[in-house]
Amino acid sequence: MAELLEVPAAEAPPAGPAAAGPEARLPGLLLAAVAVIATCGLIYELIAGTLASYLLGDSVTQFSTIIGAYLFAMGIGSWLSKFLEGSLLRWFIRLEILVGLVGGCMAPLLFVSFEYVASFRLLLYTLVGLTGVLVGLEIPLLMRILEHRYPFKDLVARVFTFDYVGALLASLIFPLVLVPQLGLIRTSLVFGALNLAVAAVVLARFPETRPYRRRFGVGIGAALLGLAGLFGFANKLLAYTETLAFQDQVIYSKSTPYQRIVLTRNPRELRLFLNGNLQFSSADEYRYHEALVHPLLQALPQARHVLVMGGGDGLAVRELLKYPRLTSIKLVDLDAGMTELFQHNELLLSLNQGSLNNPKVQVINADAYQWIRQDSARYDAIIVDFPDPGNYSIGKLYSAAFYTALAKRLAPGGRLVVQSTSPFLARQSFWCVAHTLAAVGLHTIPYHLYVPSFGEWGYVLAGPDTHWRGDMSPLPAGLRYITPATIHDMLRFPPDMSEVPTEVNQLNNQVLVRYFEEDWGPYVH
Amino acid sequence: MPTRRSFLAQSGAALTGALLLPALPGCAPSNPLAHIKGQLLGPDAATGHLLRDPSKIPAPTSTIETDVLIIGGGVAGLSARRWLHQHGQTNTLLVELAPETGGNASAGRNAASAYPWGAHYLPVPDVRNRELLEFLQAAGTLTGYAPDGRPIYNDYHLCHDPEERLNIEGHWQEGLVPALGLSAADQAQVARFFKLTEMLKTTIGSDGRDVFRIPLDESSTDKEYRQLDKISFAAYLDREGFTAPALRWYLDYACRDDYGATAAQVSAWAGLHYFASRKGSAHNATGADVLTWPEGNHFLTENLRRQASAPIHTQTLAYDLRETATGIEALIYSVATRQSTRVRARQVLLATPQHIAHHLLAAVPGHQLPPPGALHHAPWLIANLTVVGLPQGPGRPLSWDNVRFGSASLGYINATQQSIKQDDGGPKVITLYWPLTDEAPGPARRRAYQTSYAEWLPRVVAELETYHPGVTPYIQQADLWVWGHGMVAPTPGLLWGAARAAAMQPVRNRIFFAHTDFSGISIFEEGFYQGIRAAREMLGTGSKLE
Repeated sequence: MAELLEVPAAEAPPAGPAAAGPEARLPGLLLAAVAVIATCGLIYELIAGTLASYLLGDSVTQFSTIIGAYLFAMGIGSWLSKFLEGSLLRWFIRLEILVGLVGGCMAPLLFVSFEYVASFRLLLYTLVGLTGVLVGLEIPLLMRILEHRYPFKDLVARVFTFDYVGALLASLIFPLVLVPQLGLIRTSLVFGALNLAVAAVVLARFPETRPYRRRFGVGIGAALLGLAGLFGFANKLLAYTETLAFQDQVIYSKSTPYQRIVLTRNPRELRLFLNGNLQFSSADEYRYHEALVHPLLQALPQARHVLVMGGGDGLAVRELLKYPRLTSIKLVDLDAGMTELFQHNELLLSLNQGSLNNPKVQVINADAYQWIRQDSARYDAIIVDFPDPGNYSIGKLYSAAFYTALAKRLAPGGRLVVQSTSPFLARQSFWCVAHTLAAVGLHTIPYHLYVPSFGEWGYVLAGPDTHWRGDMSPLPAGLRYITPATIHDMLRFPPDMSEVPTEVNQLNNQVLVRYFEEDWGPYVH
Repeated sequence: MPTRRSFLAQSGAALTGALLLPALPGCAPSNPLAHIKGQLLGPDAATGHLLRDPSKIPAPTSTIETDVLIIGGGVAGLSARRWLHQHGQTNTLLVELAPETGGNASAGRNAASAYPWGAHYLPVPDVRNRELLEFLQAAGTLTGYAPDGRPIYNDYHLCHDPEERLNIEGHWQEGLVPALGLSAADQAQVARFFKLTEMLKTTIGSDGRDVFRIPLDESSTDKEYRQLDKISFAAYLDREGFTAPALRWYLDYACRDDYGATAAQVSAWAGLHYFASRKGSAHNATGADVLTWPEGNHFLTENLRRQASAPIHTQTLAYDLRETATGIEALIYSVATRQSTRVRARQVLLATPQHIAHHLLAAVPGHQLPPPGALHHAPWLIANLTVVGLPQGPGRPLSWDNVRFGSASLGYINATQQSIKQDDGGPKVITLYWPLTDEAPGPARRRAYQTSYAEWLPRVVAELETYHPGVTPYIQQADLWVWGHGMVAPTPGLLWGAARAAAMQPVRNRIFFAHTDFSGISIFEEGFYQGIRAAREMLGTGSKLE
């Protein structure tokens, strides 16, 4: 109350600063500083929120808790400001240097430490808290510096006007300019430098800073150099961190319109990731691909024409080429980036044995669903090897309508096989695929095996009957996993993977995507 | 008082783009909308208004004869033409002012997708609506019947999942009924409302008929329920204690969506009909599912057109009707050839809005049409936006119907929802619906007609920015369409007052009427039904004369 009562008195024209001269512009300079530091302050908050969403997922929670923590920390900073005494301008310059360093290094530090620190969240919130406290100190401190230069009502009006203008500017340039043009790491560094620049300008322009000008100037210079150095290394830093997102060395990465392809290797194996999801490990992919191809082909001793949907790595085709009786193999894969990689990269050619370059094989880069509805050929065998149904777009490729379109392309007596995710980790999803195939009139034979790098994995063989039980024709020589005995084992489902009731996956309900989210939810979060 | 704290929180939630628009209106070199191409479209109002001053139209130079002249090629006119054709009356001529038939179920197409300029879906129908099911079967939408007798619908025509999402304070929830952040009391009201409408779905009136049916003329005449037509939906909701703001927003949204009018403007019977009349069932879908196509209900009107082979003259205005000793003589004017023709018909079907029919019948006594302006027709703005991205907030992914809680518009539908292609980040078309209900229909219509593309565009973009902050740079094209008379609203007393029944009475077995204006509810099923009702009346007349 006492402070409020003093307001009328403060409204009297202030004595000093109204006078003309260079001194008169200094409060204006501080007001400009308000806009800059408000921009920086909001940018740090947005960086922390965005980065946390990138690295931890669940952007609602991340953004919400980051904003909350940041604002709370600002509140602590504001409260702490009353304990700062002595030369307030000196405190302000110190503060700007600190904010510049902590805020500026926030993004690079978080990116690099993501894989290393045991509790990334602890580091994240410590940095957010620290930045918040420092940013929270800024405005109260500046208001105290300016309190005798303006009437109180003008002071509040001007400081908050510039504060909000800065916040608006930040919220506009962050998504529109900074993230697309500079990326998070460089944005963080640039705004750190801006805080340092505020410190430098204030230091240079206010006469009362003379006693410590040289000392602080050196500090600011060193800090700026440090940030500039990191700025130069931002790209290497990013490459480093992408490597860090994977366990092993990234040896190839490419973004296509559909996905990000990343290939990693360690002394033991080569791994392929699509959008961060493991597609195969060279150490055990033979299990997956033998199980995908050989039961189907063994059930179809007369098969000549085969269609493969997905499978742009050519590994299923490699297995198919073990049957000399096949006369044509068509592979339809959406992504030319994938099939070209597996047609030309030497390392990968040794893995798929150049299968996609075999004269019997025709590679078609097309959208599988659109393609199958326009195709008029018939196939003895169809192999469906799509990514797991993790979104509504891919979910359509597991729908009853899609299977109806596939079944129309089967020659009389023909069969198809569908990779059907894990019957152990995603039990509902697996059985939903089986039930959806059954719903379009196919007879299904579900089976599964253990692939060390994936876990327990499942497939559904579907055709005109269920007569096949692993004993229709001889298997090619040299298989490493599939034998008549292992086929026999694969057909048995222990109680923890046995059939569960599910709905049929239709385009108008997409239950499979919902099951898949439920099934995998516990493993992802 | 706004605080730094609340401001930061809002900025953090990225109001960015919304602020961008008002912030930079005058900066011509950096106009944030300069990259957006598009134009303002709409029905041919200039030709339509010739009707008010036919002296500007050249005199007829030829004469043709037909048994039946159908004026208006919307759903009702096409439905009547099809029905007549299927029941032996193939000597018909349909005239339509627009370049294509379809009425407000018209559509457009660009490199990315086909898209609707009007109505865009049909709820899975009640199996008792046999005529509609037969039509859908011929259109390939209904593919057969399951052993239990329920229809099987074409998988590619049933709306693909995910179907609906609602943006509440930046978060996208599943479904349009607000659920996020409701108090327990408000949740209880929502549950009570839907319990009530579920019960009303199966309620039978004292005459043994359903209380709420589509077509609505088959609903029960039970006074207990029909009296609900005398009060407004808002008054009914107040009376019944449905006061939760979130529920009321949703119900108001529903009225604006189906009727182009607010809950305070439509009758309680109509408001409840929206929820209690959808009794569809199917083997492979639920009663809540809908049928939809990229081009919207233009798919249906095109099939109505194809299911009959009688001549159609488009870009043709009927501007004068006179009764003769043997029937009706109509004058029609072709916009394309700039020539008029005299048409001698035994019967005329006026499949136009009531105010057009009223104009045309200036010289024909004996009709009971209400005076122009008696019906409430709100103007609508529809925007088709080609976008190469929709900055996605937290929550549910892009769905077919996307609405924001509290939004002035009705939200948008994704015209590419039914595409089976994998998403390659290429352009999509979204269709934004906006009934202009802020003022009375007359002034709103005049204002809408006077608003230029340059004035509409920032409003449309600002609206979409509230859904997807930062979307402006992703908009490639924005085409806009203004419907002056979007649809009839079932204001209190309209549906079950005497005037509606009187208005559709044929005049001396020569002039007949079919349009959703005669239903009072503008949905496809009603237009389809009105056409069949009128066609049956005409056929009945024809057989009597012969």
